[in-house]
Amino acid sequence: MRIRGFVAGLAFALLACGGTDQAAIVVTGSSTVAPLMAEIARRFEEQHPGVRVDVQTGGSSRGISDARKGLADVGMVSRAPKDSESDLRWFMVARDGVSLIVDASNSVPGLSKEQVRRIYRREISNWSEVGGPDLPITLVHKAQGRSTLEVFLEYFELEDKEISPDVVVGDNEQGIKTVAGDPRAIGYVSVGTAEYEAGRGTSIRLVPLDGVEASVASVGQGRFPLSRQLNIVTSDEPQGIVAELIQFASSEQVHDLVEAQFFVPVE
Amino acid sequence: MARGMVQTSGVSPMTRQPRQRHARWLDGTVRAVVGLCVAAVVGVFCWIVGDLLLVGVPELSWGFLVEAPIDSGRSGGIAPILVSTLAILAVCLGVSLPLGTSAALLLSELAATDVRLVRVVRRSLDVLAGVPSIVFGLFGNAFFCVALGLGFSILSGGLTLACMVLPILIRATEEGLRSVPSDYRHAAAALGITRTRTIWKVLLPAALPGLVVGLVLGIGRAVAETAALIFTSGYVARIPTSLLDSGRSLSLHIYDLSMNVAGGEPKAYASALVLLMLLLGLISMALSISDRWLSRRMVHT
Repeated sequence: MRIRGFVAGLAFALLACGGTDQAAIVVTGSSTVAPLMAEIARRFEEQHPGVRVDVQTGGSSRGISDARKGLADVGMVSRAPKDSESDLRWFMVARDGVSLIVDASNSVPGLSKEQVRRIYRREISNWSEVGGPDLPITLVHKAQGRSTLEVFLEYFELEDKEISPDVVVGDNEQGIKTVAGDPRAIGYVSVGTAEYEAGRGTSIRLVPLDGVEASVASVGQGRFPLSRQLNIVTSDEPQGIVAELIQFASSEQVHDLVEAQFFVPVE
Repeated sequence: MARGMVQTSGVSPMTRQPRQRHARWLDGTVRAVVGLCVAAVVGVFCWIVGDLLLVGVPELSWGFLVEAPIDSGRSGGIAPILVSTLAILAVCLGVSLPLGTSAALLLSELAATDVRLVRVVRRSLDVLAGVPSIVFGLFGNAFFCVALGLGFSILSGGLTLACMVLPILIRATEEGLRSVPSDYRHAAAALGITRTRTIWKVLLPAALPGLVVGLVLGIGRAVAETAALIFTSGYVARIPTSLLDSGRSLSLHIYDLSMNVAGGEPKAYASALVLLMLLLGLISMALSISDRWLSRRMVHT
């Protein structure tokens, strides 16, 4: 009986394998863009019956390499193109600001680019030196490979090896959880995520940078300096249905989806 | 376990006059420490389950189980994810159970005389059991998805999990087989029963408890897996129509909701609660099936 059951299962599996074989558009890359892209893909599928868009995740570097190798039709990259990546075609889907966050009880009024630089190089180690409470500073830093990290390092002209953080976090949510409730901590996360979490009562505050308040609005207006692009890339000039998907993803038809993910639509 | 330890210290040889007070003091301390440890373990468990229930239960409803996720999972349900999870698990067990049982039979019955072979296989299984799951994920991606061309699919995910679960399954089944008294084998040989029939009718039923332990551990590891599935079965939250479709597993959904989706936390808790219930359900099912099978077989032996 066990054998028969197993054979039946195997036969079913083979049948299932031979089922539908319609080609899917494969999209891989940044875990920041993936939830947004999955929603865009769902709406695109609704408008184009018979088309399937499979969104996978794994990080921006993976998006680049999979698009290059042809493992994916479209890659997702949550930063601006580097010089070495001009072989790919880039399309901006949205913008995302990176905001410095502290605990809500931390009274620091704002920080300048130079102050942040010195804090992360541990040249400033107490909040009182930048107008905050008399507490030592705990550095919360992102793990290697995170695109927020790259945006942060590039803007503040820092090298990753210069920084000896107290806590290393992976994702935005983890960064927020680490900073919230610790008046000594400073970290940096997506501005949309930070604004949303602060709005629903999580104990964090978005720190103004160089006198510009950190908010979705200021990122959208292009005033906030510390922001990044959310891009999709293809290895060649997109053709046919892939071209349609890319056009759709950067059109006004998805602005509500972009905002629902706390990103900022591009004009 | 706590009781066992207390008893051991109770019958320790330090009961002579000069040492008596010292021994009593030691007993008390050991008892207190053991009690504290037990309280800590139970406390952590209750905290986790309580936290899950507190945040998760208000989100839980029939609709949550039968609807598709909306708005990156912030609303809607987890129906496609449940289907994918079960499909991945079915592939994993469908492959690893026959393979694992055969390997265990080879190790403990058929090749038991070839000491070197058995030792090498056993050592490599132990190493394999300790390999971090992300390594299996990368291997699965390179081998099943790319080299075999299965792509991001439930099949790739299930096969990767099978590789991961195999060592646990084999070692547990092997332990089960080795705990069968040699008398059984000798008696079967004396009756002139062939080796295959002996294995099928005598040894396997007797080793079933071991196999079930391996199965339960394997299911637990497979259902809880995230890292090995990100790069193999993938991220697509749609009801799969074939085993070659990509499908998001429940644990990956929980990870995504709590890490990449702002405001996804309540649904992450609800999904974790479903995962916990699924696990309990599967384990009790495995136990009851083995019980029934065992009682039916054992009547004849």
